[in-house]
Amino acid sequence: MKSISLYVDKNSIFHNLHSFTKLFYLLTMILVPAIVGSVWGFAAAAAFSFLLLVICGLLKKAMPFVLFTITIVLIIFIVQGLTYPGNETVMFSLGKIEFYREGIMYALRIGLNFWNILFAFALLILTTKPKDMVEDCEQIGLSPKFGYIIASVFQIIPQMTGTMSTITDAQRSRGMETEGKLLTRAKAFIPLMAPVVMSSLINTKERAMALEIRGFNADIKKTYLYTRKLKISDKICLFMMGLSILSSIVFRVVKWLISK
Amino acid sequence: MAYIEVKGLKYKYPATETMALKGLDFSVEKGEFIGVTGENNSGKSTLCQAFVGLVPNFYRGAYGGSITIDGLDIAKASNAEICTTVGLVFQNPYNQFSGACDTVFDEIAFGLQNIGIEKQEMIRRVNEAMEMLDIAAYRDRNPFDLSGGQQQRVAIAGILAMKPQVLVLDEPTSQLDPQGSEEVFKAIDTMTQAGITIIIAEHKIEKIAEFADKILLLKDGLAADFDTPEKVFSRSDLASLGIDPPVYTLAAEKLGKRKPESGLYPVTLSDAAECIGTDIPRVVLKKRDEYKIEPTFDVSDISFSYDGQKNIIEHLSLKLDSRPTAIIGQNGAGKTTLVKLLKGLLKPTEGSITLAGEDVVGQTVASLSSKIGYVFQNPNDQVFKNNVMDEVMFGPLNIGFTKEEARERSIQALREVQLEWAKDINPYDLGLSDRKLVAIASVLAMDTDIVIFDEPTIAQDRKGKERIADVIRKLEAEGKGVIGILHDMDFVAQCFDRVIIMAKGTILADDEVHKAFTYGPALDQAKLEPPHVAKLMKAIGVGRFALSVDEIEKSATAGEYI
Repeated sequence: MKSISLYVDKNSIFHNLHSFTKLFYLLTMILVPAIVGSVWGFAAAAAFSFLLLVICGLLKKAMPFVLFTITIVLIIFIVQGLTYPGNETVMFSLGKIEFYREGIMYALRIGLNFWNILFAFALLILTTKPKDMVEDCEQIGLSPKFGYIIASVFQIIPQMTGTMSTITDAQRSRGMETEGKLLTRAKAFIPLMAPVVMSSLINTKERAMALEIRGFNADIKKTYLYTRKLKISDKICLFMMGLSILSSIVFRVVKWLISK
Repeated sequence: MAYIEVKGLKYKYPATETMALKGLDFSVEKGEFIGVTGENNSGKSTLCQAFVGLVPNFYRGAYGGSITIDGLDIAKASNAEICTTVGLVFQNPYNQFSGACDTVFDEIAFGLQNIGIEKQEMIRRVNEAMEMLDIAAYRDRNPFDLSGGQQQRVAIAGILAMKPQVLVLDEPTSQLDPQGSEEVFKAIDTMTQAGITIIIAEHKIEKIAEFADKILLLKDGLAADFDTPEKVFSRSDLASLGIDPPVYTLAAEKLGKRKPESGLYPVTLSDAAECIGTDIPRVVLKKRDEYKIEPTFDVSDISFSYDGQKNIIEHLSLKLDSRPTAIIGQNGAGKTTLVKLLKGLLKPTEGSITLAGEDVVGQTVASLSSKIGYVFQNPNDQVFKNNVMDEVMFGPLNIGFTKEEARERSIQALREVQLEWAKDINPYDLGLSDRKLVAIASVLAMDTDIVIFDEPTIAQDRKGKERIADVIRKLEAEGKGVIGILHDMDFVAQCFDRVIIMAKGTILADDEVHKAFTYGPALDQAKLEPPHVAKLMKAIGVGRFALSVDEIEKSATAGEYI
């Protein structure tokens, strides 16, 4: 079955970390450059995550994200370079259009931070099975019902897309046009969507019964087939990350004190 | 006190007017195998769900009486107590999976986690359940990627790992191909030997008759009978109760052969063969050349692949005609792919398909829809209107009939499936079997030259099958081409004149129905079994061949004995 999870089944240093360590990595990469505040901080953080993606052999899988976001970042540069409120110094001009240094620098910060977070996020989702992360969260107190909803989405959505293509075939067989003009497509909407909704409802009812008879609502503390404990490597990483957050705070405070 | 006691069990679903169960009383001893049978809406599924407390706890509604299993009052028991006492397996293997586990191993462990079983014990039980159901080889596969029979066994393993003493199965093989059904029945047999009490609702009556200690026959929410298979199936009023006895019983009955010691009819193959002996009628085959056979599809050297790599259909050539033609084979044999190619829903990567000399490949599905009708397997994939009449009129209106014409044809089509009474009802308020008949009517109303049926008999009881058989006969009489994909070999024998046996995208045999079912090697290779009557004739061993009870009867009345 086609999965909508982006997990890449591999063995890498990042794969071997506990999901909490990876989540904490994402948090660290958001916090540290933001606290430090320098554009170099964003650049360094983005470069670090990028390097990790390369080391873990995930660059190919992460490329679509990068390519997809290039246009967004480009738009930020154009818009900010032209219209940033603090624009004063002209950096360069294309014909009559003038781009300003302040705007470009601001866009650079946003762009770099955008990629920084994107790479850190890519590291998390490319190396973690959604089900594992959900289970880890359940074990420290997330409601199993809420956890189930998240975990099941990854299997149920591909199922629904499968149903959708059968339904399209069934309606086309009865002479309904599904391709062509916008109006034709709009007309096809209800005949295609109603069966999807109805069969999802029917499936949901059956699945709810199936869960019931498999003790999903039992008033018993749930046990787990997999218990992932924090390993030494996780603890070292967590310590280092905690330390870097702390240092960035100290750095910022000292900088602020000096400037006073 | 018996192990399972059902006392005065009554139930009414919320927002309905009639009682689904009207007061059932029976008891079951530990380790017994009980077959539950009856026409659709007789209360079989409701009873199955009552055993695990879904009725009334899940649905609510009005409940009376009680079910106790080993002293546990099910309606009042906690979810955890029920799970470890009794398990339920239902029809659709797909919807029974948690939907949150990506390996077979994890899926089986899902329930054990919920009821707080320790990790080591959990692993032990999952391994044990996989062993018992012979699915250990798939432990790391995604359950959704398995075949229907494998999926159903995973679902059973998931229940069994919770160690219930009673296993209730609600038509567990109705959605499976013959091989998948066989796998599941084998698994059920293993469980019976392990001492688990089995209660199973199932339309495959020959199987039930073979395994069951007792048959509970339901009619309108009441127990019409609860006795040994021989006693129940020897009743003369089964037709009025909406069920057919096993084909073996029917054959013995038509020939007037009873078991000498009990005076009852036999219900299993071996008993029937012994009871009937060699004193059987000679079969007169229908003469095909009395019928006018018109050529329809000409399929020439087609190949097809879904992914551009592996060919599902490879260099297949086939000439079809107006005779009702059944395509049989296991799931994955390429049957549905073939008919989708005929219908133009898929386009071959090479080769050509023509219908009455006209090219099919170059035409759009919509333009073909006035010539070729296609009833999909699952009616829920197409039904979308608020009432049956509008649903049936959808196709005719699409292909250019006026409103009046469409209405007229739709009424005619609904009459043919005997659902005229339901024309103003929301199709989703009908049961699955009636909804399937609505889907059939919605294609019949389009008045196409060819009608393709994908598994028309799924979820149908005796009456439903009879209606579909009538539809096929009528289409045949009108000179229309009928193509069916079927797993029900008795129905093939009853309604189809030509049989195509497929496996792995190729045609293994293609012949007149009587001859096709004599091709032992092709049937073996496709892992199919001949119809029950053919098996019976083989067991009798007189070197004669018949496919349906009707054939035996026709010959018998003609007095043509060997």
